[in-house]
Amino acid sequence: MSSNLRITCGTEPKRGSVDSPEVVAQLFESLISPFGFFTPTSGLLGELNLSRGVYSLLSVSEHLEFESVRHLSQALSDLDSISIALLHMDSEEFAIWCGLGKSGARTHLLRLISEIQQARIRVKGAELQVNFAHSQPSAKFLFRSLTQLALVGVAFDLPQLQRAWIDSTGTSLSKKWISQFESIRVFKGRGDLVEGDPLTFAFHVRWKGVGKSDPAIGIVRNHLVIDVGGVRSFVELPAACSRMEAGSVHLSKNKFEVDFSVKESEWPRS
Amino acid sequence: MTDERDGEKSTSDLGSWLNLMGAPASITGLMPSEITGLDVAPLMSMLGGVGIKSGVRGADTGETSTDEIRWLPIID
Repeated sequence: MSSNLRITCGTEPKRGSVDSPEVVAQLFESLISPFGFFTPTSGLLGELNLSRGVYSLLSVSEHLEFESVRHLSQALSDLDSISIALLHMDSEEFAIWCGLGKSGARTHLLRLISEIQQARIRVKGAELQVNFAHSQPSAKFLFRSLTQLALVGVAFDLPQLQRAWIDSTGTSLSKKWISQFESIRVFKGRGDLVEGDPLTFAFHVRWKGVGKSDPAIGIVRNHLVIDVGGVRSFVELPAACSRMEAGSVHLSKNKFEVDFSVKESEWPRS
Repeated sequence: MTDERDGEKSTSDLGSWLNLMGAPASITGLMPSEITGLDVAPLMSMLGGVGIKSGVRGADTGETSTDEIRWLPIID
């Protein structure tokens, strides 16, 4: 799938060069006037900031610039965090957010959800260019950044990256690092629930190299959170997991498994 | 990156933030000062507002934030 979006990583974004997405402006407008009923928390969304790239991703610009691959990955991670939270708010939260029906926020909120989904599709089909003219990361740092980018579902073009590296340094990437970069695989964002015995299950998630990426694994609502250096990806858990207790994560080179045990008190007896 | 973050911290009122984001002065000039002078920090983190305290209740601790991540122990 391709889109008309071109993203350049490694250039200084021009301040104020991205027009405010209309839907965000409208949402602000709806929420400013009445009561200020939002209460930021320190949870999933506590550290997010619209101006840190999320804003750019929601714009309709055909060319976006990010300071680095890391910044693009973080913005996509933040966008996904917002999406997860918006899509899973319960009816009470929704009512509070929308001013109990007294403002136009409900419409704007629904539009924002839709535009986040469209932005995700655009980015996945975008032409990604890496540029080292302004700063030259170490190959090790770049490997980490590209792993984070793969975690949020975006692939990179290795030949283009190699050309950019030569243009910047005058030297080629070593065969060792080319091989390392070739080994990076885009995370598919899926997993399988496998039964161990009647009371224990394991949720298997495969992602090449995950064991070397030093991930943190957590749970928020009905999603698994995979965090690599602050960049997060989310995997929806089967509905059956909602009445199970998550235990330890068993991490190996190319996969991890999360233990789930049945909370007998919450399961109906035959 | 440092400059970008510093810039974000300096735009704590709505008028400055809108200017930074490219809104023309002709628009922000029309807005009453009570509006442009609003502290934008809560608005910037507004999308965190969905984690309000009304959601999931923990068994032991009473109310918990619905967007709280529970990190799991990892065994290599």
